[in-house]
Amino acid sequence: MARPPRIWISNDTPALGEIVRVRAQIVHVMESGFRMDANGDPIPPNLLTGFTATLDDRLLMEWLPETAISQNPYIEFTFAARASGTLRMVWTDESGVVAEAGQEIAVG
Amino acid sequence: MTSFVFEPTRRDLLAGGAALAGLAAAGLGASAAQAQGTSLAMPQLDSAVADDIAAAFAGGATPIMEGLELDLPALGDNPAAVPVRVHVTEPITEASWCEELILIADLNPLPLACRFTFTPDAGSADVAVRLRLIGTMPIRALARMNDGRVLVARQEITVAAGGCGL
Repeated sequence: MARPPRIWISNDTPALGEIVRVRAQIVHVMESGFRMDANGDPIPPNLLTGFTATLDDRLLMEWLPETAISQNPYIEFTFAARASGTLRMVWTDESGVVAEAGQEIAVG
Repeated sequence: MTSFVFEPTRRDLLAGGAALAGLAAAGLGASAAQAQGTSLAMPQLDSAVADDIAAAFAGGATPIMEGLELDLPALGDNPAAVPVRVHVTEPITEASWCEELILIADLNPLPLACRFTFTPDAGSADVAVRLRLIGTMPIRALARMNDGRVLVARQEITVAAGGCGL
């Protein structure tokens, strides 16, 4: 985890039922496997394979990126604020967890 | 004694010119192959693979052309990061929610761009990502609702140069 993810959240003290928008970006090479090195050998792929967003222990959404996702993957999603808790975001690739972030959500 | 002087005829010149042109073309071909040699990415010739992915996702259901909105620029000025937003326009409730959503870039070497799964706890189905595209192509999104309906949205995007080698 070289650099922490960049997170933006529309409102961390939302009203009950309010739609909260989250934008997040991490640093990841997203090597496609299509590129060749100077010797003409293919560079092995190194892709982000998973992202999950949970509020406390309840899964909100999961994202499974493939080769077509840009370098330094950007993800934006929304959820309805139905309960207070910790919004937890985890990014994974073949080597395991590459980034994690958390944000307290207090429904007012 | 007669000295032999080579006097090229018009036919000789034309033949020589053609040979030279052939050499030049071969040279160009080689450099084009070399330029291609930095990337193994080849675009799909048509939407057949994308159609297969869409059919497998729909699983027999007939996709409905409404209820899903795909939001992307008409011109992707940076093919390595084309912003794409997709959202279900109908209200998401605890009785009716979007289970799964996929994005397909029809002509990319690997057309399935990404997959999203949602739980009823999300209470929303609105996502945005950035795609890298190899060229001008249609983009489509399919969403499966919990009642089995499959929604589809499709939009064409013009891309100047490929971003798949990146």
